[in-house]
Amino acid sequence: MDNYQASNEIILKECAVNTEEIVRIGEVIESATSHFTAQCYELDSFPPLGALVKTQNSNRQIYGIVFNATTEGIDPGRKPLARGKDASSEKTLYEANPQIAKLLKSQFEALVVGYKEDDRVFHYLPPQPAPIHSFAYLCPAQDVTEFSRSFEFLNTILNSSVSLPHEELIAATLRRMSIVQEDKHAFLITAGKHLATTLSGDFKRLRTILERIRE
Amino acid sequence: MSLDLDRIAPQVEKMTEHIDAEDASRQKHLAKAMSILCDNSLNLDDLKNKIESGKISWMPAEPVESLSNKYTTEKPPANFTILATDGSQIDIDRHHSTRYYLINIGSIYLEYGESADARLESTPQLYFDKKDLVMTSPDGSNREVAIEGTLLGIKRDIEEFKYLTRMAASLKADIPALLLADGTLIRWTLMSKDIPEFIVSEFLEKGFLKCLDEIKEISEKKSIALASYISYPRSSDLVGTIRIAICPYNPVNCDKCRRENPNGAYPCNTVDGVQDKDLFLTLLESGERSALFISRSSIQERYGMHRIYFYYVKIDDEIARIEIPEWIARNDTLLNLTHTLILDQCQRGHGYPVALSEAHEQAVVTAADRQNLQTLVEAFLSEKNIDINTSAKSFSKRTRWI
Repeated sequence: MDNYQASNEIILKECAVNTEEIVRIGEVIESATSHFTAQCYELDSFPPLGALVKTQNSNRQIYGIVFNATTEGIDPGRKPLARGKDASSEKTLYEANPQIAKLLKSQFEALVVGYKEDDRVFHYLPPQPAPIHSFAYLCPAQDVTEFSRSFEFLNTILNSSVSLPHEELIAATLRRMSIVQEDKHAFLITAGKHLATTLSGDFKRLRTILERIRE
Repeated sequence: MSLDLDRIAPQVEKMTEHIDAEDASRQKHLAKAMSILCDNSLNLDDLKNKIESGKISWMPAEPVESLSNKYTTEKPPANFTILATDGSQIDIDRHHSTRYYLINIGSIYLEYGESADARLESTPQLYFDKKDLVMTSPDGSNREVAIEGTLLGIKRDIEEFKYLTRMAASLKADIPALLLADGTLIRWTLMSKDIPEFIVSEFLEKGFLKCLDEIKEISEKKSIALASYISYPRSSDLVGTIRIAICPYNPVNCDKCRRENPNGAYPCNTVDGVQDKDLFLTLLESGERSALFISRSSIQERYGMHRIYFYYVKIDDEIARIEIPEWIARNDTLLNLTHTLILDQCQRGHGYPVALSEAHEQAVVTAADRQNLQTLVEAFLSEKNIDINTSAKSFSKRTRWI
């Protein structure tokens, strides 16, 4: 599959958030209690920023929010170099260098925001991290609605040490979650109220988030 | 201790002066060699006879056509495939009680055109059985020779080639393909007096030449060419031929010449220091290839129909030596395919064939890999309560202490 087919796949997978389909998007290759990194099966086919993803092992599902995605050389000692000066399109560049896609890997990082066990959703860290090689899935609409009944995950994001500005991540998460809500507007208002309480002493940050979720 | 660069710097300065002084005389020698190479009055048959009849103390190239012939190439086909292998090894650690070695083969399949695709793989194989660690003479003498050091290097070369042959067998029939090997196809290292005949025969006739038989057979059904690529060649086979052209003696007799010129001033000294690549850097335009030549290495006597020919190709400002078996050299379509596709590979790979560069990346075994393998072996041994004995010297190297 070339990069362009992969891009189409991403669009399809993005749509999955509105369906009940569970889409497997990668595999955990680094795991800690607070976050995990998953390698995508296809180059550049990341879940979107702020998407709710999950790993599923025995009777526990661990939920994470995508906060970073990268594509880089599989071998850390080999950096990609620009090659397309004379190529008419990016597609021809990949066709002329079919090895490139095999030398790169795409991966994404997710902040652990909760888990589900025995049909109960918990909005705090799981007792154990996701095992390495756990499959990672993009959560279907039902999972997203169920998980977003509580806004505790916003506190987890605010207290995390993710490299992305927290305001950006929270806004992206809320935008994505709002897509599957029955009443999108009401969902964002409730989220805004929750944030107003949490960030009562930090109006600047609150405003930054609200600006980014405004419809 | 790190190297004392302060003490080396004055020596480097001296070396630079030496190179500078040599360069002036080399330019003169190069001009002389070029004048012979481009001499249209040179009779090829006379030259061949002179080579055949002479008692020569070096190895000249046998000319096939006018020495200064050169060829451009055509555009690559719309769809084609490149296969390449490379290998590396972890030799037996003689300071360790467990005897094993490892050969890692990097293999590359690159398909260009409508269904562009790539497969990059590495296949490590651990050898520990006695039949793999030593080769026993079949003559009943029970003579045993350990596969390590140089012999392991030769075995690795053969294994790379076997792998390439297996890959060739699975190629599609309708797409032209090039099998690309790294380094020489002339297994001259097997000519060492230290290597007994039964080993030469095992590696050469039963190994390498058998693979060439198979590739030739496949090539008769599919459009498959085979070539090996030698980067920055230091060979002077053709300069050797030019020496013979210069030589006033006929028949050439180097021993006689030495006796008659005890001061060391031989007539062929006028091309001293020149290498084949210097000639073709001057003669060829970028992308062009030279005439064909035949290597006269004595191991070639055993090659039969696979006798190795070679040509030089200029890629930007560099010369590469390409070696091909006789049945490719005599088939214009396949010969041109080697030229076209090697050039194309070099253009895609910043001057070096992409497939070989990636095969190397797949094959390479780092110092950390060696250490990890040893740790893995030791972990398995201790699980089985098998003693791990290493020599004091090995311990001293691994544990640096004051």
